Amino acid sequence: MKKLIIVLAVVLSASMAFAHTALMACFDEGDGTVTCEGGFSDGSSASGTKFRVEAGGKTVFEGKFNENSEINFKKPAGDYQAVLDAGAGHKVVVQSKDIN
Amino acid sequence: MKKAIMLTLALTVFTAMSASAHFQMLYTPESALDKGETIQLRHVFTHPFADEHTMDMGKQHDSDTLAPVEEFFVVNKEKKTDLKSTLKPIEFKGNENSGKGFASEYKARSMGDHVLVIVPAPYYEANEEAYIQQITKVVVNVAGAPTDWDADLGLKAEIVPLTKPYSIWTGSTFTGIVMSEGKPVPFAEIEVEYLNHDVDLAKNAMGKAKVKAPQDSFVTLGIKADQNGKFTFGLPKAGWWGFAALGVGSDDQYKGKELSQDAVIWVQVKDMK
Repeated sequence: MKKLIIVLAVVLSASMAFAHTALMACFDEGDGTVTCEGGFSDGSSASGTKFRVEAGGKTVFEGKFNENSEINFKKPAGDYQAVLDAGAGHKVVVQSKDIN
Repeated sequence: MKKAIMLTLALTVFTAMSASAHFQMLYTPESALDKGETIQLRHVFTHPFADEHTMDMGKQHDSDTLAPVEEFFVVNKEKKTDLKSTLKPIEFKGNENSGKGFASEYKARSMGDHVLVIVPAPYYEANEEAYIQQITKVVVNVAGAPTDWDADLGLKAEIVPLTKPYSIWTGSTFTGIVMSEGKPVPFAEIEVEYLNHDVDLAKNAMGKAKVKAPQDSFVTLGIKADQNGKFTFGLPKAGWWGFAALGVGSDDQYKGKELSQDAVIWVQVKDMK
């Protein structure tokens, strides 16, 4: 019986974690910078959520989404990826080829 | 004998025409975008299922000059932006005739919902000696984040969705509330039509018909809202579906003639595959 409750609890918390999805869209400002907007599928803001830019396997920029759920960074030379990291199961990666 | 055939033909044409409904189209190819982009829009007053007559937007009874669009705007994150200056006149080619409408482009950059609304000038329908004005809404979403799709904009005639209009699977349903200036309209009469043609954006033209109606009542489907102005409709096929709540607006007269001020919303349905 105890086992069953534990299993149920695990299943329940897992499903709660996936009840909303993290989302991000980025666009090139055309002035050498890129802006990314974050959010969640339930409509909540990504304000304060961690964000980083990776290029060549290294983190080249780190920050947090502002009160408008946005973050602006200097566009790295070459390929890079923008990463919204809201913890387990809530990571969104956008590749530079998809940012225009 | 000849006369009888002519009469039959005339009657057939007449009944075929009366069976299909006027719909203001606010067409764009894709309502659920992966990322921000500039989208194409076409503003055409037509019969989306039968496509037997394309109308000149803004036609008046007392003048040959077409009246300009009253309003065209977008709401994103509760911010309203006027887009009227982006409208460019076009001649849109239906399968039977051409009619005057508009083309526009809109940069849907920001993540979330972009609620596009057009308030055309009332159109004079000579057959009914009355005007029709269809206040039309379409919701385009960027990157899946919900922001404004369920907003009640307080329009004179409006369908407020209770289902996201851009994420509907084939075989599921769409629910909305018919409103006028923020108040539900009980038992509103609603016409439903399937956009039965591909729209060629480059040629500003309608393609060939996709499905055939087994009988006239299938061309324009008639439903009614309940006592709270709410309705639900099951969507059997992928593509664009239009809902028009007839005569629900606060204005009922224009230039001394009867006015049907209607609320239109377009929703896009996708196959599970």
